[in-house]
Amino acid sequence: MCSLLHAQVDSTEYTDDEEDYSMYDDLDFAEEGAKRYCSPKIEGLSPAKLIYFGYDAMSPYSMSLDSLTTKDGQTTYDSYEEKEIMLTHGIRLGCNIPVISKNSIVWQMGLNYWETRFEGADGRTPNIVMQQHANTFRTLGINTTLFKPLDDKQFILFQGSADLNGDYTFSDIMSLKYLKYSAAVLWGKRPSEKTQWAVGLARTYRVGELNYIPVIMYNWTDVENKWGAEVLFPARAKVRRTINPRNMLLAGFELQGQSYRLYKDPTLRNEDLEIRRGEIRLGIDYQFSLKNFIWISAQAGYRINYRYDVDRLENGNEIYRAFGLLSDAPYAMENSLNNPLYFNVSLNLVSP
Amino acid sequence: MKKIILTSIFSVMLLFMTAFVNQSDKGDRLKGVWEPSNGRARVKIEKIGKKYFGKIVWLKEAKDPKTGKPKTDKNNPDESMRDVPLRGYRMLKDFVYKGDDIWEDGTIYDPLNGSTYNCIIKMSDPNTLDIRGYIGVEALGRTDVWKRLKIKKKKKSKK
Repeated sequence: MCSLLHAQVDSTEYTDDEEDYSMYDDLDFAEEGAKRYCSPKIEGLSPAKLIYFGYDAMSPYSMSLDSLTTKDGQTTYDSYEEKEIMLTHGIRLGCNIPVISKNSIVWQMGLNYWETRFEGADGRTPNIVMQQHANTFRTLGINTTLFKPLDDKQFILFQGSADLNGDYTFSDIMSLKYLKYSAAVLWGKRPSEKTQWAVGLARTYRVGELNYIPVIMYNWTDVENKWGAEVLFPARAKVRRTINPRNMLLAGFELQGQSYRLYKDPTLRNEDLEIRRGEIRLGIDYQFSLKNFIWISAQAGYRINYRYDVDRLENGNEIYRAFGLLSDAPYAMENSLNNPLYFNVSLNLVSP
Repeated sequence: MKKIILTSIFSVMLLFMTAFVNQSDKGDRLKGVWEPSNGRARVKIEKIGKKYFGKIVWLKEAKDPKTGKPKTDKNNPDESMRDVPLRGYRMLKDFVYKGDDIWEDGTIYDPLNGSTYNCIIKMSDPNTLDIRGYIGVEALGRTDVWKRLKIKKKKKSKK
């Protein structure tokens, strides 16, 4: 490895000439009216992932499950019960490819596929919505990010995604009418090479059900490039310790969640049920360069359950509760989960 | 007859030489001082042999805030290079003009993380370069737009 690195270096890298560099201090653009634009990144951020392939797993935990009555009131599934989930795991893969990458605009498109497989202690998964041996929730999504600098300090950021979430299989995939749309628009400033902040509004399913919430972005790196913060509140907030540019440790929290359509079971398919899944992950994330642009991310921490309730749509429409301010409609099933440890490892191709 | 053949050969050779010189001249339009979009540095592109190289000639933050000394290439994966001053460092290397305002086969070095990327340069107009650093294939990359700077001619001091 060492010899390979030495092989990259040659005498053309540094010019030890007697050039008078002061002549470059005060120069104007050759083109009339040329503008400077701020960059989407600041110094010292953890690298953006172009392609990632990961595996996520959780230690055993118990699930306390409510009963569920069908729309017509004819059938009630299961009474209150508590079940052990021995393993919750799945692969997570995705890509984010720059479509337009210029000073005046940066546009990325991405694809992602996440799965969550539940495996119960008694060889069967635990509730009415998980009657198969290993039920799997899937998220198949497309996303886009648009960064539009207004000048050398201000910018607008737009992020949008459309996700197909549910317990469908690829041989019986759900209709696109069940897509869930999320978006965020932020306006911000980049006052220096090491600080960037923005405020905006998001439509999100991060805590399981639809919400419209204010968001705050704050990215910062200290003078010595050793410490930093990477915050998109309330979705995530992390403190970063940079050991060197190829080795960094992040600690903090992240909200994860989606609204999963219950589709697989034919008897439940027409019940218009969706699981509002939300969790808070408190943990650490060690990221390092394996070789050149191939990075490994290893995460571990504590998963706190926020919500695992089942909602019944009203005439096909989601109930917008606004944290109980606009509606206090009850859930069709209210479930609770204990809190396990989580682990996640991913192999990433990072962006220049 | 012999004179006609010799004249024809000479004309063809002249044509090829003229085309070569023109191509070379077109490639030389890359030479000059350029500013990346972040405005943190200025890079002077020169021709050495048949290839084009770009060295850092100005840094917005020339001194390391920690040491107060000129910034060095402290993130270079090669430890022996970490004391080399960034000003004067060749961050663009080995570009060859391929015609159609495109320079290829070169690399770009990012002193912020010590990484070297494949790079292609396209001149979108005489004062603008699209510099695309990429990993393996062009699609996996990022383009930065560099603007040409005007060199101010030094006034000759009267003796």
